[in-house]
Amino acid sequence: MAEDDLVERLLGIAPGSPLAALRLQREAIRRHTQGAWRELVLPEHPGGVSHAERAALALRVARLGGHPALIAECEAVLARTGEPAAGPRTELLLRYADLVAETPERCGQAEIDALSAQGMSPQDIVAVTQLIAFIPFQVRLLAGLRAMQEEASA
Amino acid sequence: MSRFTMQEVGWEPRIPPVEAESATPAQLAALEACPPAQRRSTYFLTLAQDPASLGERGALFNSVMYAPRGLPRAERELATAVVSIVNGCIYCTSVHARRFAELTRDTAEMQRLLDDGIGTGLPPRRRAIVDFSAKLTAEPNAVTAADLKPLRAAGLDDLEILDLIHSIAMFANANRLMQSLGRSVAP
Repeated sequence: MAEDDLVERLLGIAPGSPLAALRLQREAIRRHTQGAWRELVLPEHPGGVSHAERAALALRVARLGGHPALIAECEAVLARTGEPAAGPRTELLLRYADLVAETPERCGQAEIDALSAQGMSPQDIVAVTQLIAFIPFQVRLLAGLRAMQEEASA
Repeated sequence: MSRFTMQEVGWEPRIPPVEAESATPAQLAALEACPPAQRRSTYFLTLAQDPASLGERGALFNSVMYAPRGLPRAERELATAVVSIVNGCIYCTSVHARRFAELTRDTAEMQRLLDDGIGTGLPPRRRAIVDFSAKLTAEPNAVTAADLKPLRAAGLDDLEILDLIHSIAMFANANRLMQSLGRSVAP
């Protein structure tokens, strides 16, 4: 079975449709868009950032992005992983998600050091930052493709 | 004077970059998959701390910026410079403004964009690209088919518009990584 393509599933882009064919002209982008989602949100080896933490971060940023289908997808992922343990580490991670998603120019050394102080390694910090920063990519990709769909059906 | 510049801006990470001597096999493999010019950059060595995300996201980035045909390279650089201006990422703006100027030899136009802002006078095709880039960045959920009309009027075809969307979306990501994992250092 072919790997799930989240973007096409969320937008209802049918296989063989003109937009699906157009995306195949950029097959590497299509594949790595899915690959990045998998490695960041659903990795086989989650390392120092648990699947539950990853799902909670994705949902937090998806809600800020306001794309209903992406929010629903992240809710479904979180329902499978369960919520991360309540406590200072989770609170800090969610605050960091808000900062990176909404006002990244206000991030400073203190915010990164606070993650380290919660026991996060440089690898964990890069992983959560990559994850948080990937959702805004998805939100704009989905919005742009949605406009193309709308144009085609007009 | 605007805070944006085409001059070389530095970038200082807030976590230690990977060092060649102590890198793990997975980190080395992820760096090896990056284009040679990127392997020694402090930014990529920082991202290499998490090799799994560097691999997929790095490949995504390179396809978005360098895939052949479609939207001309210079216009991808224009879009990514505009997104970086809107997001306030001084480092990314400097890199992509410079690449645009190198590719088009139109340094004056980019300098005006940096100094006067993205509303500065531009020829129609560039105007359409700049406006769409700013709107998809700032208000993605407000973008509709009507926003594609100026791009169509300027002659962009389907693949060019897809490339433009990819470029804009990629820098929603790139700006946030750069701004949070490190800081721009003035020239």
